[in-house]
Amino acid sequence: MTVVIADPAHVDVVNAAPSASSQRRGRTAGSPVTLPVALGVPVVVWQAVFFAAPLVFLIVITFWQVRSFRLEPAFVFDNWQRVLGSGTFHQALLHTLTVAATTTVLALVLAFPAAYTIALRLPQRLRDLAVALLVVPVFSSYMLRIYAWQIVLSPEGMTNSALSLLGIGPLPLLGGAFSLQVGLLTLTLPIAVLILTFALSGVDKTLIEAAENMGYRRSRVIAHVLAPAVRPALVLAATTTFLLAFGDYVSPTFMTGSKPPTLANLIVDTVKSGSQWPRASVIGVSMLAVLALVFGLGRWLASRGRK
Amino acid sequence: MNTTSTTRLSRTLQYAFVAALFVFIAAPMLVIVVFSFDANRFPAIPWGGFSLEWHRATLADDMVIDAFKNSVTVGLGTAVLSTLLGFAAAYIDYRWRFRGKSSFVLLVAIPPAVPVTILGMAMLAFLSRAGLFGRTETIMACHVAIATSFSMAIIRLRLGELGTDLEQAAWNLGASPVRALLQVVVPFCKPALIASFFLSAAVSFDEFMIAWFVGGVHETLPVRILNLLQGQVNPKINAIGTVVLVISITLVLVAQRFVGVKAGKHS
Repeated sequence: MTVVIADPAHVDVVNAAPSASSQRRGRTAGSPVTLPVALGVPVVVWQAVFFAAPLVFLIVITFWQVRSFRLEPAFVFDNWQRVLGSGTFHQALLHTLTVAATTTVLALVLAFPAAYTIALRLPQRLRDLAVALLVVPVFSSYMLRIYAWQIVLSPEGMTNSALSLLGIGPLPLLGGAFSLQVGLLTLTLPIAVLILTFALSGVDKTLIEAAENMGYRRSRVIAHVLAPAVRPALVLAATTTFLLAFGDYVSPTFMTGSKPPTLANLIVDTVKSGSQWPRASVIGVSMLAVLALVFGLGRWLASRGRK
Repeated sequence: MNTTSTTRLSRTLQYAFVAALFVFIAAPMLVIVVFSFDANRFPAIPWGGFSLEWHRATLADDMVIDAFKNSVTVGLGTAVLSTLLGFAAAYIDYRWRFRGKSSFVLLVAIPPAVPVTILGMAMLAFLSRAGLFGRTETIMACHVAIATSFSMAIIRLRLGELGTDLEQAAWNLGASPVRALLQVVVPFCKPALIASFFLSAAVSFDEFMIAWFVGGVHETLPVRILNLLQGQVNPKINAIGTVVLVISITLVLVAQRFVGVKAGKHS
C-alpha cells in the first residue's frame, strides 16, 4: 500500500475570493498554507505510523528470515515458497473462500427481501426505527453474540436442553457449516440489510409505479426495475459481506473450534505459536491480495451496469 | 383468492420475515442478559432461578475490573483523538483541493476495510520494533487509526450541509480563517462531533483483535472476555457481557441521537 503525502506546495484554496481577505487579515493563520498543513499533518502522520507503516512492514517481513528463533532482515522468497506450496494453506484458502462466498450469497438472499420490506413497505417511523436498530449491532458486541450462539447451539445448551424436555436430541448444532454460517450472518446481515435499505429507499417511487401501471408483476418489477437501480449497492453489500466473512476470526474459532481452520485461524496460530512471523505475514498479505481482487471485481461489476 | 387478500397475505409474510430477522439479531443479546441472572452454572433450559451470584463474582474479579479500567481509558482517549483527527480530515476534504487529496482521504477512510486479524498482526510486528508493545497508549493509538474513518465520515456529512456562504461571511467580517473555523464551522458541526465522540468510543470499546495483539498483559474488557472464552465454561462471561452490552449499545444509541441515520426522503 503506497501513501502519497499531500504536498503542501500544491494546496490551493478553493474559494478564491475569500482567500484574498484571509491573506490580508489572517494574522493567526499566517500564510494560507499554514492552516491546512496544521490540520493535515497530524492526520497524515497518525495514519502513516499506526496504519500504513505496519502494513508496509508486513510486506517487508515476508522476505525476512527466522534464524535461531529470531527475526532477521533478509531478502529471500523462501517464506512465500513454503506457504504458497503448503497443502495446509491451500486447504485453508479454499475453505475460507467457500465459506465467505456462501455467507455472501446467504446474506444477499436474506437481506434483499428484508430491505425491500423495510424500505418500501414500512411507514417512515418504523423504517427509521428499523435502521436505528440495525446500526447498533454493527458497532457492538460481535464476540458476545457469538458466545450467545454457543450457548444456544451447544450439545448441553439452550436448544438441546429444551428439545430434551420433549424427548428429542441432542442435535449436533454446534461445530459445523451451519453454526459457522449462523455466526458469520450475525456479523454480516445487519450491514447488508442497511446498505440495501438505504439504496432501495432512494429509488424513485415513480419508476416502480410506472412499472406497476404497465401491469408488471412484483417479481418482474424487482428483477427489471429495482435490482438494476440498486446494482451498485448490491455489489457493495456483497463485497462488504465477503470481506467481513473472509477475514473473520471469531466465528470459525468459536463456532467450529477452527476445524477446519480458516486463513485467519492460521495467522493467529502461527503468530501465537512462536516466531514464524514471516510465514504469518505471507498469509496476511495473500489475504489482502484476494480482497483487492474481490474489490476490483466488484468495481467492474458495479460500473458495467452504468452505460 | 382475490387480489386484495393475496396482497394482504404477502404483506403479512413480508412483515413476519423482517420480524424474524430482528429476532435473529436481538436474540443473542437477550440470551446474554437473561442468563447472566440464571443460577445455573451452564446456561440451559429450564432456567435455574434468579441469581446475582455471577454479577457479584464479576465485581470481585480484579482482572475484570482492571480490564474495565483499561477499556474506559482506551475508549475515552480514542473518542477524543479520533474526533479531533476526523474533524481535521473532514474539514480538509470539504475546504481544499490539492494534489494527492484522494490518497489523503483513502488513508483515513480505508482502515476499517482491512481485516483486524491482519491489521493486528501488522501493528504488533511494526510497533513492537518501535518499543511500543504492551501499552494501553498503543492500543488507543491503533484504535484511533481505525475510528477516525467513522469520525471523518460523520463530520464530512454534516459539513456537506454547511453552505459556503456562512464561513465566507465570517471572513468578510474580518474573522481570520482560524477564528471562522472555531466560531462558525465547529459550532455548526457540534452534533456530528458529539456523535463521532460516542461512536469512536463504541468502536474502541468493542474492538478485541488489535487490543489482543498489541496490548500484551494490558487486557481490555473484550480481550478479557476472549481469554475467558478460550478457557472453560465460565458463567461470569454472561455477567461481564451484560455490562459490555449495556455500555456499547448506549454509546451507539447516543451517537444516533445526535446524528440520526435516516433512509429515504423525509417530509
